[in-house]
This record gives sequence, C-alpha cells and structure tokens, in this order.
Amino acid sequence: MQKKDIGLGILIIVVGAIVYMRNPLFLSPINLGNTANLIGLFGLFAIGQGFVIMTGGIDLSVGSVIALLGVLFVDMVGKFGVPWPIAVAITVGLGVLIGLAHGILITRFKLQPFVVTLCGLLIYRGIARGYTAESTAGFPFGSSYPQLEWLTIGRSFGVPHSFLAMLIVAAIMWVVLHHTVFGRHLCAVGKNEEAARFSGINTRFVTITAYVICAVLASIAAIYFAMFTKSVQPSSHGNFYELYAIAAAVLGGCSLRGGEGSVIGIVLGAVLLQELQNLVNLLGIPSSLNFAVMGTVILLGVLADQQFATYRNRKNTERALGLLQKQ
Amino acid sequence: MSVLELKNISKRYGAIQALDNVSLAIQPGEVVGLMGDNGAGKSTLVKVIAGNFAPTSGDIFISDQKMVFHKPRDAQKAGIEVVYQDLAICNNMSAASNVFLGREPTRKIGPLRIVDYAFMRSRSAELFARLKSETRPRDLVHKMSGGQRQAVAIARTLLSDAKIVLMDEPTAAISVRQVAEVLSLIRQLSDHGIAVVLISHRMPDVFEVADKVVVLRRGELVADKMASDSSPEEVTGLITGAIEKA
Repeated sequence: MQKKDIGLGILIIVVGAIVYMRNPLFLSPINLGNTANLIGLFGLFAIGQGFVIMTGGIDLSVGSVIALLGVLFVDMVGKFGVPWPIAVAITVGLGVLIGLAHGILITRFKLQPFVVTLCGLLIYRGIARGYTAESTAGFPFGSSYPQLEWLTIGRSFGVPHSFLAMLIVAAIMWVVLHHTVFGRHLCAVGKNEEAARFSGINTRFVTITAYVICAVLASIAAIYFAMFTKSVQPSSHGNFYELYAIAAAVLGGCSLRGGEGSVIGIVLGAVLLQELQNLVNLLGIPSSLNFAVMGTVILLGVLADQQFATYRNRKNTERALGLLQKQ
Repeated sequence: MSVLELKNISKRYGAIQALDNVSLAIQPGEVVGLMGDNGAGKSTLVKVIAGNFAPTSGDIFISDQKMVFHKPRDAQKAGIEVVYQDLAICNNMSAASNVFLGREPTRKIGPLRIVDYAFMRSRSAELFARLKSETRPRDLVHKMSGGQRQAVAIARTLLSDAKIVLMDEPTAAISVRQVAEVLSLIRQLSDHGIAVVLISHRMPDVFEVADKVVVLRRGELVADKMASDSSPEEVTGLITGAIEKA
C-alpha cells in the first residue's frame, strides 16, 4: 500500500465520520448495501480507466460503451431470447473489439487517445440511440433470469454481488499491475515510451492491451448496469460515467502524465466518489448541487495532497541538512 | 583477436556520403574515444554498429565472425549494447526495475508468472557492487544523480554479458564530480574485458579514459591511434581539418 492510498483512506473515514454524526442512517445496513452496490458498479470500469491513464492515455468512450453494450445485452436476452451466458460472451467480445479498435488507432495510426475515444463516445452513443430509435430497451414484462440476476444484482450476507465482482476484478488487476511483467512494462511505457522501446518492450502491444482491458471492464460494467436498472434509456444511460472513472483514477493517485497508479487507490477513489454522492442525499443538500459538491471535495483533496507532499519534502530536506551539520 | 572489426564501411543517404570506407578494429577491454564534429558521421557509425540500419557497403565482424544486423535486437544478441544519453531509463521505477527493464525475471506460482523482485534486487546489487557504485537497487531513479543514472544504464549492459558497449555522450550535462564517477564506471567495464566506444565532445574526458582515439571528419576516418601518442591539440586539429591526417 502506498502513502497516497493511506491518505485517501483517511479522507474516506473522516468524511464518513462527519456524515455519520450528522445523519446516523449513513451506517445503516440498507444504506451501506446500496452504496456498496454503486461502488462495485463504478469501481469495475474505473479500474480499466486507471490502466489506460497509466499508459498516459485516456478513454472518454466508457459511458457510451456502457450505453451501447447495455442496450444490446438487454435486447439479446430480452427480445431475441439469446441464452444469457452467450449474450455475456458476445458483450464481452464486443468490448474486446472496441478496445482493439481504440488501441490500434492510437498505436498504428498514431492518433491521439483523446481524439480517438472522443469520437468513440459520439459514435457508440449515436449507434445506441439510432438502433433503438430513442426508445428504452427493457426486458419483457414478467420475465426473470434467476442465475443471471443472482450473479449481478444478488446479495450474499447482505453484500451486493456487484461489489464482490469489483473486489475480484481489483484483486486480479492488482496482481497484473504490481506483480507481472506486463504491469512493469505498462508503467515503463506510460512514463517513457522511448526508453521502453529501446529496452526491447513491445510498446504497441502494451498500449493496445491497456485499452482492451478498459473496454472489457466497461463491457462487464455494462451488463451489471443493465441488470441493475433493468431498462436502458439510450440517450441518458451512462452519461458522464467516463468522468467518474477518470475522477476515481486521479483521486486514487494515477498521474494523467502516465506511469503512476495503484489499483487500491483507484478502488478507494471510487469509494470516495460514491460516499460524496451519498453525503449529498443524506445531508439533505439539494441533489442539483451533486456535481458541485463532488468537484469541490476532489479539488480540496488534490490540493491538500500536494501541500502535504511539499511539506513532507521540506521536512526531509531539513532533517538531512541537520544530520550534515552534526557531522 | 579483435572483438569488433569494421571493414570498409560506407553509408550513403542519396547524394550524401555519411561514412566513407571506414575500417576499424577494437580489442577486448579497449576504450576507444570516437570523436568528430557535428555531422562527421559519429552517430551514423554507432547506429550501423548497433544495428539500427545496415551499411551501404562493407562488413562487420564480431570476434572474427561476419555479422549482418537487420535490427537492434540482432546486434544486442551478438553482444553489442548501447547506453543512450538519457533515453533508456524510466524515472518512475526503481534502479533494479530499470536494470531489468524488458528482461524481467519471473518465477512460477501455480499457473501464474510473477515478477521476481527479490532476484532483481539481489542481482542488481551485485552489478552495482561490481561497478563500485553506491547506487541502491530500491531507490527511485528520479531521485538519483546523473552519475548514478549512468551506473543504472551501464549495469543493464553487464546483465547481458555484453562484449562491446557503445556510449553516446555519457558525460554531457552532468557535474564534474559525476563525470569522474562515470569515467570510473568505464574503467570498470574495461577491467572486465568489455570494449567501450565512447562518443564525446569533451576532450579531457576522452584523454583521461581512452586507450585509443578515433577521429571522423566528413565521414572519413582521419585518425586511429593510441591516446598516449596523441594530444588534445592534435585531435582538435584533426576534427577541424587543420591537420589533414594522422
């Protein structure tokens, strides 16, 4: 665990304590369960976004991918009667293809990640709206899919399965990032692509894989969101979700310049974001101020982190100088 | 037996003759100072040796065996390593991670392949000790001095059992004390029987460490002699063209 992660954890606890003192419902099992569900849903694709940010790129298409794949998944299962395991496989497969397309456009055709994924954002949203002709995609009345529902919106001992899914994904990605050769290469490519290339690393492969991971996690999140909302409204479903993911990753210590980040940090970032949403509801702040509260707290958090780092550096320098003078 | 031999290497870009019939032999453990003005063909020569591109004509021999390099990886396999000035290091990683970058050792845990950090740290500590450098494997590179960074870059070459190390301006842009550190690293390599080609503009550095000086002017080799038989004044003359040939 890095120092930044600990700082973020403390911030989460402090904010939580304040909210609890104002409204004890914060720690009620129902509220915790609902918040955990949202943390799971948003955490899933925030982890993918973090991997892309670590390469020094960005993926703005996540929200639209969640809308498009959500619409397709609901239609496959609800309208065309595709067995759900096959529908899941097709959805994740489409995620792989979308990630590959982004990665290849960025590495082979040397387009900027911002531009590629911004076009993705527009294209996937447009296809989702065109395909459904703006009508809401939903499951037929009275239909049920017990196993699929158990996997996505079920709970064990009160813990929502979306949250457990996010924890499993986080554990896998933690090993991938910190303990595999690929993870090492990801950090190297993000910080200094030229150095990585001179060291014999296949930098294209690393970058493309990061975008595939991001799109695949977005496709899994799309299934969870579709099952959670049960109906997908193509023009609003998943709007701004890419920004939640970017916010969680940046709060979690991923540098937008690439090369730095931790999976634990991203998960904590997602936790803090949902805690803030929850805070707005519980403290009776008008929900129209939702985004303003979130923006302010993120800004203060990042500012405090920076100030604290400067202070720590100064203390270290003073201590080193003190030691030198003693000699 | 020479570790590297170039025979009549020429490289032409369209009408421009970047290298003109360059022949050169380097012995194991020899430190060669490669000098010349900007555009004299130093970088082209280094890139030909490192396999970045093929010569228009001429042959390369490694330990008396004829070699054809199609890509840098081929040259690396033949024992040629390049230390780039500042390029080949990632600031956000530890010294050990940088030494092993692109060649990370792994160990198996069940079906998983896990990076072996412990081995990386102990092996790079050994390499730093061999180079008599105080660099610590766990330290992040962005907190290091220029000399320590060079030690990291040079340790990479020891990892692969290089026969020849090409160094591009290793003493540009670092402090005087660090220059001394880098020069001692070069001597360490030479003591281990590794030939070093040092490309530098800094005359005092070359004369302090090099056994042999080689001067290029407009793609032509105008001098190839022992450093002890030459002088900074003569080399300056050769670089500028005041002295025709030596």
